[in-house]
Amino acid sequence: MSMTRYIGRRVIEIVITAFVLITILFFLFRVMPGDPVSMMLSPQMRPEIKAQLRVQYGFDKPLVVQYFLYMKNVLKGNFGESFYYREPVMGIVWDKLPNTLLLFGSATILSYALGITLGKIIAWKRGSKTEYAATVAGLAFYNMPIFWIGIIVLYIFAYKLDLFPMGGMITPELWMNADVTTIQKALDILYHLTLPLITLTLLLFASSMLIMRNSMLETLRQDYITTAEAKGLPEKVVRNRHAARNAMLPVATSFSLSLAFSLAGGVLTERVFSWPGLGWELVNATVNYDYPLAQAALLFLGIVILVMMLVADIILVFLDPRIRY
Amino acid sequence: MYYDDKKKKKKGTIGIVAKSLKENWLIFKEEKIGIIGLALIIFFLIFGLLLPAYEHAMGPEEYNPLVGMDLDLNRNPVTGTFSHPPSKAHPLGTDFKGSDLLAQLMNGSQMAFLVGIVVALSSVAIGTVVGLVSGYYGGSLIDSLLMRISEIILSLPLLPLVIVVAAVLGRLSIWGLVFVLAILLWPNTAKIIRSQTLSLRERPYVESARVAGASGFRIMFRHLAPNVLPLSIVYMTLNVTSAILIEASVSFLGFGDPTKVSWGMMLQWCKTQGHLFKALWWMLPPGGCIGLLCMAFYFVGTAMMPIINPSLRKR
Repeated sequence: MSMTRYIGRRVIEIVITAFVLITILFFLFRVMPGDPVSMMLSPQMRPEIKAQLRVQYGFDKPLVVQYFLYMKNVLKGNFGESFYYREPVMGIVWDKLPNTLLLFGSATILSYALGITLGKIIAWKRGSKTEYAATVAGLAFYNMPIFWIGIIVLYIFAYKLDLFPMGGMITPELWMNADVTTIQKALDILYHLTLPLITLTLLLFASSMLIMRNSMLETLRQDYITTAEAKGLPEKVVRNRHAARNAMLPVATSFSLSLAFSLAGGVLTERVFSWPGLGWELVNATVNYDYPLAQAALLFLGIVILVMMLVADIILVFLDPRIRY
Repeated sequence: MYYDDKKKKKKGTIGIVAKSLKENWLIFKEEKIGIIGLALIIFFLIFGLLLPAYEHAMGPEEYNPLVGMDLDLNRNPVTGTFSHPPSKAHPLGTDFKGSDLLAQLMNGSQMAFLVGIVVALSSVAIGTVVGLVSGYYGGSLIDSLLMRISEIILSLPLLPLVIVVAAVLGRLSIWGLVFVLAILLWPNTAKIIRSQTLSLRERPYVESARVAGASGFRIMFRHLAPNVLPLSIVYMTLNVTSAILIEASVSFLGFGDPTKVSWGMMLQWCKTQGHLFKALWWMLPPGGCIGLLCMAFYFVGTAMMPIINPSLRKR
């Protein structure tokens, strides 16, 4: 019972955050200098259509009414038409969202797997050269500008060695060919995914590694670890089964806190590798003054964070009964 | 013994501060990375401050980081522009229009300190005040209101939001960016300071201050603030890192202040001129500097942790 109440409370908090984000968007696009209409409607439109849309968006009405109209349009998924593509914005967002989720999701999983494994090992070998090297390498990547690392990765593996493509997500010629099987298509995506995935993982693994290390050091001081060792259990069993499992909780807790940071990294990675995701689209739309698309892309990036936070919270409730209180 | 002699009292306070500074320095010294970080910060500070001297020595007009260009240069056949690899006249080479890259790099160092320190100071100041108020009135309406606000800000997509703000307001000036970052980066500090304040306010000295009739304001800023200040300083170093990285990212994406030469801006110019792979002498140094300076502040922050948390000390 208390568990459903906890999750319910988190859902409400997250919905409120989403509304705050929409409200920020609303005011952002209205406080700016100039006529808000010109930001919403393409300059090339015919005047009578412009007038009609002006009424649809309610620009002739007071701000409060405009706000509710805006809210209604957002909730219905009506973001208008992209100036640049001349298509409904929602269609573009649905096109790009899976690509972002693919890159972001796989990088998150890979970096946490790598971080937890490394953290476990370096805590076990405390004070060793391995610990020092892994910590310094992790912190170096964590503090470097990820776009710069991406450029260097591109320079080495795509430009100099020609092992991987310079960017994009698919090879168009391959997808045009009707004989190509799904497996070949999947391999093609994987081929394009490799470099951005490596770059994003390099940025992200340090935080989970360091948290895992600290938590593991804490756990190794516990009596049950001494007991396990005294029983004569093999080192690996003590490390992996007895210590690591209990040490993993703080890593899970830190997950939702690091999401905003990871997302910033994701946007920059998409940009450097021309990965056709929401972040790439957001930057493109802003450069092209395509405000309807920029709004929708920003909102959906925010929603990706919020949904992932919620998922993390729900998983955490199962991992840590203390949260339910 | 009454402390009615104000001079005596003051001397006593300074003595205590000096003593604790010395003690803390001894703890800080134990961490090798802290010393490395501090050395790097001092290096970049001097590096940035040397710009006027360098410009003066080489020729203030030709070596101006923003508008200066070397008119004696010919087109480089390799790059197709006036971008040349390092030479005697230009120790780090030149960019596409023949501007000296070392001067730009020095200017970038100044910008990084400016953005990093100002954002960190203001965001940590906001965070500390919010954390103190929230913690001192823990459990009250104002506490939950402040904490909800900080949670909402924490779950916003930070970089995309800054990009859109920059685009909507036209190009953000460097001060506009500093302002936006100060508003968005305080919640982490506020949360930490709040939890610290929650435990501090149960201490006997707070109780006695309250019994003596001290107001909430006085307790918060006279009695509690000095005790959470070390924690704030640690968070300041971490916020410097975030601010420098975000400024670099925003500039690299093309939404920075075009009238200021920052490291991110140098990379953006390198990219728009198509020199990323052609001119490594242009592409590598700015990113390396961003990484090193951010790491330096992060290291100093990490090395200060044992001062606050004695259980992390080596001895």
